[in-house]
Amino acid sequence: MIHLKNITKSFNNKIALNNLNLKINSGEIYGLLGANGAGKSTTINLLLGFTKADNGEIKMIDSNDESKIEKDRIGYIPENVNLYPYLSGIENLDYFSKIANLNFSKKQLEDTLVNCGLEKDSTQKLISDYSKGMRQKVGIAIAYAKNAKIYLLDEPASGLDPYSSNELSLILKKLKDQGSTILMASHDIFRVRETCDKIGILKSGVLVKEMYSKDVTSKQLEKLYLDFMKN
Amino acid sequence: MFTIFKNEWKAFLRNKLFLFFSVFFISLLIVTTYFGIIQNNQQIQNQKSAQEHMRKQWEEMGPYNAHSAAHFGTYAFKPNSILSNLDEGVNAVTGIVLRLEGHKQNDVAFSEASQSIFVSQFGKFKISLLFQFIIPLLLIFFSFNIYTSEITSGRLKLLIVQGNSFSKIIFAKIMTLLSFAALLFIISILFQLLFNYNQIGWEQIFRLSIFLIAYLLYYLIIISFTVLVSLIFKNNTSALSLTLICWFLWTIFLPKTIGSFTENLTTQPSRFSLQNSMDEDRAKGIDGHNPEDKRIKDLEAKVLEEYNVDSLSQLPINFYGILLQADEEYGNKVWDKHYGKLYSNLIEQKKHYQLSGIINPFASLQSLSMAASGTDLIHHLDFLNKAEIYRRGFIKALNHEYTYGDFKIDGGNLSSSDFFKSINDFNYIELSIQKNIFKYFTDILFLILWTIILLLIIHNKTKKYLINE
Repeated sequence: MIHLKNITKSFNNKIALNNLNLKINSGEIYGLLGANGAGKSTTINLLLGFTKADNGEIKMIDSNDESKIEKDRIGYIPENVNLYPYLSGIENLDYFSKIANLNFSKKQLEDTLVNCGLEKDSTQKLISDYSKGMRQKVGIAIAYAKNAKIYLLDEPASGLDPYSSNELSLILKKLKDQGSTILMASHDIFRVRETCDKIGILKSGVLVKEMYSKDVTSKQLEKLYLDFMKN
Repeated sequence: MFTIFKNEWKAFLRNKLFLFFSVFFISLLIVTTYFGIIQNNQQIQNQKSAQEHMRKQWEEMGPYNAHSAAHFGTYAFKPNSILSNLDEGVNAVTGIVLRLEGHKQNDVAFSEASQSIFVSQFGKFKISLLFQFIIPLLLIFFSFNIYTSEITSGRLKLLIVQGNSFSKIIFAKIMTLLSFAALLFIISILFQLLFNYNQIGWEQIFRLSIFLIAYLLYYLIIISFTVLVSLIFKNNTSALSLTLICWFLWTIFLPKTIGSFTENLTTQPSRFSLQNSMDEDRAKGIDGHNPEDKRIKDLEAKVLEEYNVDSLSQLPINFYGILLQADEEYGNKVWDKHYGKLYSNLIEQKKHYQLSGIINPFASLQSLSMAASGTDLIHHLDFLNKAEIYRRGFIKALNHEYTYGDFKIDGGNLSSSDFFKSINDFNYIELSIQKNIFKYFTDILFLILWTIILLLIIHNKTKKYLINE
């Protein structure tokens, strides 16, 4: 579970997040919608510990035993998963696992990649030959391999073709079903509506609206979002 | 950290451009080292031949006047050690052969002419040129973006999220580059040793260790400095430009400027004025070749009194030998006075120059590189001093023979060839760096200080990865 309480963050006297309150339960995908500069990436950076909040409290708790989730159980998938181009998919996963002090057999690594949606034949290919969608899958596999409890995705569907984007949704839903807590920051209203259980609209660092995706259609969500952006 | 280190090496080895470049550069190093060894061995052989030739001349010297033999003189050869081809140091400027003769002390002359065509056009192509200028430049080009490339690609966040500290990632990358530099360096040294393994003793091992440590510290400074600049500016262009400017300042501008400054601190007389002052002082002494000199008359009276005779013809010895030795000793005092000051000034200048290592680590590297190769000013002055001590003994022996010799050969004061055979050659024993390491204390200290300070600043700047914008 992720819980952000009264979070305020400013950079050079410019407010990036203003009294943000956000709760994402375990086994839930939360979609954070917002324009560029709305504070989506800042929220993710706060959760990753790459920046410090000026005020407020952040809690990341494992709902199973109420224990604090440590940094090594957080998976991060950026907009562009720029892996090492001279390594194959399996070698990248092996490397990122090893630096997290995890050692897997070749079979385990291959299974992880296939579980995360990569074709078995592709696992041996160099990353330089991968499409963006394939790299995203390796990114998810890296988080999955370390048994991440929390997945933070920053614009993961950006630049993906509809098929890959749909595949991504399916993988995230699979992870959700396994009890993971997922925060997905995006511009893509349709993808967020399709993938997420709960949606928040962030405008200039303020969470202006929260809703369950089942309560709105894509059309309604788009209208709502555009209205908030206009005002 | 080792995993990152291993991965960086994998990146190097899978990068075709890097591989091509490395193979080309290693080949260049090997070829340069090889030609350096050939040239050095040739020089050692030439010196040996010249020394044998000189020896033969003395061995074959028939009945001859000992004083004429002092004028005939001999040569002291500054021996090339097996390491002197690594860094030629001051040898290129000072020369390697010193003519030793009676009455006067000469300057070292005859630097090797084998590369004179290259010298006039490109500067001398020695392995030290690659070690001191090209490898650091390579390291700058390889390290200026190791931080920024990880930032712009977003990989740095991924690596940190995997549980690595920012500091560990940066240090692993620094160590990878250092190991690359060390590899290039060690290949050259091993190649050098391959050709001279039978001449390696503890002294050479100690010298090579200093050589290795000094260069590795300097390379670590270059890499750390470049990385630090990129950490501060977070921009490839700024990092590369600023580091190249510093490289230029360190290697070209500051050595010249500080060199001129230290020369001004302890000014040396010009060759002309030094010679004039020496001539003036010399004129106050005995002129062994001028029988009208008053001081000769005084010495003559003293010797006659000592032997209790009335005229030089009654002396059982050759008075002119005593006269020439007295002249020689006076000349030595004049030389000691002027050249002693000159040499102590040179040492002072070197000490001042060594202090510049606090702002220019290249100065410390150069000093240690030349010291380890046995080609710096301290080694050169040691050679000159030992050659002068030999010259004095050599001339004294000839004058002694000229004075007290048992001249049985017809035709005047002619000494036998056995006497000339008994004169030993100058055999220079190189300064022991182990016993003189304290003279390079500031160089070692500054290189270590630069390294520690840069690494501490980098550690401090990479303690935590924080985004501030």
